[in-house]
Amino acid sequence: MISIENLNRYFKSGDTSFHVLKDINLEVLEGECVVLRGVSGSGKTTLLSIMAGLDRPSSGKLLVDGESIAKLPDLHISAFRAKKIGIIFQHFNLLEHLSASENVMIPLIPSELNMTEVAQRVKRSLEIANISHKATRPAGRLSGGEKQRVAIARALVADPSVILCDEPTANLDRDNSLKFIDILKDLHNMGKTIIVATHDPLFDNLSFASRIVPMQDGSIVSKEQGVGSSE
Amino acid sequence: MSSKSFLDKPFFGSPFFFFLTLEFFKERKKHIGVVVISLVILFLLSSVLFISSSIRYSIEQTLDKEPDFVVQKIQGGERVNAPAEWIDPLLEIYGINKVTARVYGRYFFKAKRDSFLIVGVDFMDEQSHKTLESIMDETDLKSFLSSDNMLVGEGVSIYLKEHFYPNHYSFLTPKGDFKKINIFKVLPKESNLIANDMIILPMDLAKEVLGMGEDEVTDIALNVPNDDEWDNVADKISAFYYDLRVVTKHDIKKAYENLYNYKGGVFLILFLIAIVTFVLILYQRYAMVYSSERRHIGLLRALGWSIRDVLKLKFFETIIIVIISFIVGVVLAYFYVFVLGAPLLKEIFLGGANMKNSLVLVPVLDFGVLSSIFLIYAVPFIAAVLIPVWKISVTDPKEAML
Ligand SMILES: Nc1ncnc2c1ncn2[C@@H]1O[C@H](COP(=O)(O)OP(=O)(O)O)[C@@H](O)[C@H]1O
Ligand SMILES: [Mg+2]
Repeated sequence: MISIENLNRYFKSGDTSFHVLKDINLEVLEGECVVLRGVSGSGKTTLLSIMAGLDRPSSGKLLVDGESIAKLPDLHISAFRAKKIGIIFQHFNLLEHLSASENVMIPLIPSELNMTEVAQRVKRSLEIANISHKATRPAGRLSGGEKQRVAIARALVADPSVILCDEPTANLDRDNSLKFIDILKDLHNMGKTIIVATHDPLFDNLSFASRIVPMQDGSIVSKEQGVGSSE
Repeated sequence: MSSKSFLDKPFFGSPFFFFLTLEFFKERKKHIGVVVISLVILFLLSSVLFISSSIRYSIEQTLDKEPDFVVQKIQGGERVNAPAEWIDPLLEIYGINKVTARVYGRYFFKAKRDSFLIVGVDFMDEQSHKTLESIMDETDLKSFLSSDNMLVGEGVSIYLKEHFYPNHYSFLTPKGDFKKINIFKVLPKESNLIANDMIILPMDLAKEVLGMGEDEVTDIALNVPNDDEWDNVADKISAFYYDLRVVTKHDIKKAYENLYNYKGGVFLILFLIAIVTFVLILYQRYAMVYSSERRHIGLLRALGWSIRDVLKLKFFETIIIVIISFIVGVVLAYFYVFVLGAPLLKEIFLGGANMKNSLVLVPVLDFGVLSSIFLIYAVPFIAAVLIPVWKISVTDPKEAML
């Protein structure tokens, strides 16, 4: 599904250059749940951005479904993102003045769907994320946990095969964090490929099959652990 | 507050237009400042253009009624009174008609600061000026001529009332005599562009008040119905006397237009400066200052929107702002100029005339003018928004993740 080979990312500011991702090699299979685990500053967000086509690698290879997306022109990268990738951002990134359902519809606007089809899809996503009851509430007036669920619904609405989550529990209390993991399990059971970047130890012992990839200082630490089983 | 959402209430339109209206109405605070500045600029710009095109229209209408040619006597480069006998050879020239001797001049009041235009009229004769003709038609000549009477423009009437002469005025002639003349009637508002500061007197009375000799006239007016003959006739007349000058309607028109074009031009330059400044501010706002715009665009791109999708949204958003500001600005200006009579601005345009002029601005809608207002405003505006948006859109939207 996703295949990364010898990937490097440098950030240049003035004369100094920061080596943020160092020789990353990673293979993620379809339907797999991968947890990128590492402290703040270890390069997780940068890696997710590159996988989403939001940022480009300085060197190395990134293949998604056998296609090298970093080299595609914008129209194709956008189409790739729209079809294959759903992102759950660390800070939710909702448009506060729009309602929950209006936020969820955003990924479908450039699509060819008509309004009825859009409404159907939005409804279904809200149900999966368990937030239908707040559909008309402005996002700015939702609690943290509710915002998170709207963000999940939005990430799901275009039915992507890959879901990227950046620190999904950083802004949630323990109760809501556990609820999030339940939803993640549903997504896993739906066959989605899931990649979670987190420093939260809650993800160390998931109740469903997942793989932990430890990151440190921009590198993947060699020893990978497989945890849990498919129940 | 949206109590009902698109989920239960179907929206008949594309998802794109649904989202466009959402963005627009739920983020109206973001747009309000831009719309207000646009409105002010467009309102002033259209007001000035409405006033100047209306005045130009009135001048054209007025000049249409003026005689084609005016023959003057020149002394030392200045116009002086002409001998009445000059009229005789003019009558002989083939191709001209309506030859009339005219008597008029300025009469200065008290401190010699304010002045009126005295016009002498031979009531038995044809009138050189079409406005005068219609005024005469509406006047009861018998009673008017039975004693010393005058017809006065609205401005004159107001001035005299303010100086406690509601019914008559005693003119001081250049010989030192007082001549008491009654106000017979006030001229209608519609004639204000030319008659606001005018006093119409019978010919003899006018000559007396202006201190002119019996066989003198101010100038001689005539018409040349065939346009092709104008140059020819002008040459012929000029040849009669070496101290004779011919002024044509074209010359007068040009003088008027120069005056109003000058005032209009000053305004236009001011507006161009205002628009350029405004556009620069907009550009700044979208280019750098507005980091939320950057985040907003980055988020849309992260959610699968292409650069084209983002530009399309921003383009329509901008077009809506431009069109709303344009329509509201122009309608307000129309109301201000043609219904309220453009208080303040009119003074600036007609300033220099020494009397309050209640000139009626005739509604004139010039679509050429309207479309140039639209272009002058809309093109830089749209560019100022879309160029920075495009620049933001083409960079990789990695900020969306932060
Ligand atoms: N645009 C950038 N320019 C310079 N340095 C950056 C930039 N983005 C991220 N970094 C640096 O890269 C490192 C990794 O950042 P990030 O991927 O956000 O880590 P994490 O998500 O694991 O906390 C950090 O040290 C951060 O300061
Ligand atoms: Mg991070």
